[in-house]
Amino acid sequence: MKKHTISLHPLGKELRVNDQTPLIDVLHEFGVEFPCGGKGTCGKCKVRLLEGDLEISAEQQTKLDLLGLTTDWRLACYSMCTGDITLEIEQFKHLILADETEFSFTPAFGYGLAVDLGTTTLVAQLIDLTNAQVMAVESMLNPQVRFGADLISRIQASMDGSAAEMTQIIRSAIGTMISQMLKKHEVQLEEVILVGNAVMQLIFCACDVSPLSAYPFHTSNLGIKILNTTELNWKFQVRDSVKFYPSIGSFVGSDILAGIVATGLHLKEEYTALIDLGTNGEIVIGNRERIVCASTAAGPAFEGANISMGMRAVTGAISSLNQVNGELEATVIGNTPAKGICGSALIDAVAILRKIDKLGMFGEINSGEGDILLTGKVRLTQKDINEFQLAKAAIAAGLTILAKNLSIELSDISKLYIAGGFGNYLNIENVVETGMIELPAEKIVKMGNTALIGAKMFLFTDLKITEEILKKSTLINLEANHDFQDIYVDKMLFL
Amino acid sequence: MEDLLVKLLEAVEFGKVDKKSPYPPQLRDMDGAHELTISAIEAGIKPQIILEEALIPAMSKVGKKFAECKIFVPQMLMSARAMGASMFQLKPFFASGAIKTKGTFIIGTVKGDLHDIGKNLVSMMVEGGGWSIVDLGVDVGSDKFVEALKNNPGAVVGLSALLTTTMVNMGEIVSTIRVHAPETKILIGGAPVTAEFCQNIGADFYAPDPQKAVEYMNLLAS
Repeated sequence: MKKHTISLHPLGKELRVNDQTPLIDVLHEFGVEFPCGGKGTCGKCKVRLLEGDLEISAEQQTKLDLLGLTTDWRLACYSMCTGDITLEIEQFKHLILADETEFSFTPAFGYGLAVDLGTTTLVAQLIDLTNAQVMAVESMLNPQVRFGADLISRIQASMDGSAAEMTQIIRSAIGTMISQMLKKHEVQLEEVILVGNAVMQLIFCACDVSPLSAYPFHTSNLGIKILNTTELNWKFQVRDSVKFYPSIGSFVGSDILAGIVATGLHLKEEYTALIDLGTNGEIVIGNRERIVCASTAAGPAFEGANISMGMRAVTGAISSLNQVNGELEATVIGNTPAKGICGSALIDAVAILRKIDKLGMFGEINSGEGDILLTGKVRLTQKDINEFQLAKAAIAAGLTILAKNLSIELSDISKLYIAGGFGNYLNIENVVETGMIELPAEKIVKMGNTALIGAKMFLFTDLKITEEILKKSTLINLEANHDFQDIYVDKMLFL
Repeated sequence: MEDLLVKLLEAVEFGKVDKKSPYPPQLRDMDGAHELTISAIEAGIKPQIILEEALIPAMSKVGKKFAECKIFVPQMLMSARAMGASMFQLKPFFASGAIKTKGTFIIGTVKGDLHDIGKNLVSMMVEGGGWSIVDLGVDVGSDKFVEALKNNPGAVVGLSALLTTTMVNMGEIVSTIRVHAPETKILIGGAPVTAEFCQNIGADFYAPDPQKAVEYMNLLAS
């Protein structure tokens, strides 16, 4: 297949991609958000074409005209790469928040660095603190994945004698990412801010993770950690400090704290919810008075674990499925033959199969066969569907129990944000169809990476804001709820 | 008379708790396990026969279908609820000794672990297999198992864990039980558990699904 190079200006990044690769597939991993979800209505993913050609379909032209964008502008969500191009990402010139507003901040001096230390993926952005522009981006797989995909296996590996090595490789990986960015922009860093879940925090900060291995899951090491480059063995200078932001609780980390800030749910009178469909499956509901949060075991299925042909939202994964004239039509990330299915398409598959009555209310394959062919060689087995049911029920039950904790109804939630690695590919109608989120589709907004947005905001805000949020926040243990089993099992059904 | 047992078996197999319960649709407005058990007792069918010829075979069918991925957790739980409705009517006969169980099963989720749905499913299936159940709950240490064994000599013990990090606590519980009641049969299960792990910690049996636990215990009882 023909390959092309995409150069991102001024980030100094060059990407090699297949012919016809949609820009959304390669840009989202660097933290580019698609707030309207690729409908071409918000214009927030607009890019300026500096060199090369990028075809405009009639449909995109209509959208561009509506948005008043001329000649060299393109919508990343509507564009496919057909030749070597150089692009400038407009979004990186401002900091756009989850509610599509622009972050208003007091300009500071110098440069800062925001890092989202995910269980699976690391993303770092170099920020000009005078104007909040993104100057450089780096993204890579968390090198700890060789110790296991989920948090429990990381904890296990750490307790089995790999703790020091796991700390060393993650510090070194992030140090390398930052060095690469500083090679392109020789600037003095003022501050580095990291966010991540509690396990990632403890490992990065060389603290003992074993308290998180079993009930009561208590450790006193979850507060903010201030580190210096010498102990991290980083070869560049940071004028102020390196900060790992505090966790809310044992299984709800500073990535969620960042998400709360990015959605502004702590400022509003009405209730807002945030669900991170990452490995950990955290859920938050709150307003300016009170915030409750919990983690569920939902994540792994959406990240491809335990699904026979499941994979993360990377090249080769089916990112969405649609029914066209009675046939299933798949969209594959990177425009390659399908190797597997990622979380967003798993949701599509179940929603469509249920709608056309190939699945019963208990998730049973109505034909009685062991699996269903989706497209090409990609199949969904009965066990995969059951895994999906466990995951969607965990989310639905979590939302229900958190709402009960606040003594509110789900209908009292005015807006719900979904973040996660495949967030940009989600079909909200299908999410609702499966019963995973029992809210009307128009209240649900999908995001890619609220943790990274929040981490960037932390570069401009006072620590007091996070202290106030932590004071208002309560971590709920879902399983301690008397009705958990009944609610959880009930939510496994497709009604 | 036999007709009642056939109907009760069907009601439990498909999770029809009572007449007003909407599930399953094919049994709508028909008597459920609750009514059918009352009718069976009134018709003079021996409680032991009700247990052995309706409840046990029904739950065995449920266990097999679950093991073959033909049904999932919700249907299994509904069947267990229907069985529970029937058992409730049979309670006086258990208490009076008119029904003999196969023995006692002590079950708990091990120390450090709060997951109880898997444990509950196994507990319900074993009860449906004709055993008395002592459920110790979650986060259970070796002392509680030992105490329960003192109160129920000769009971079979089941240990459950859902996390790789809590599964290791099974080893300590097994060795403590071996000190106090060396003859005790111990079976273990849960997502991270394997047959190899079972062998390593010296437990007697690894049950990959609830039905395998019931089948193993039936062998012990026979």
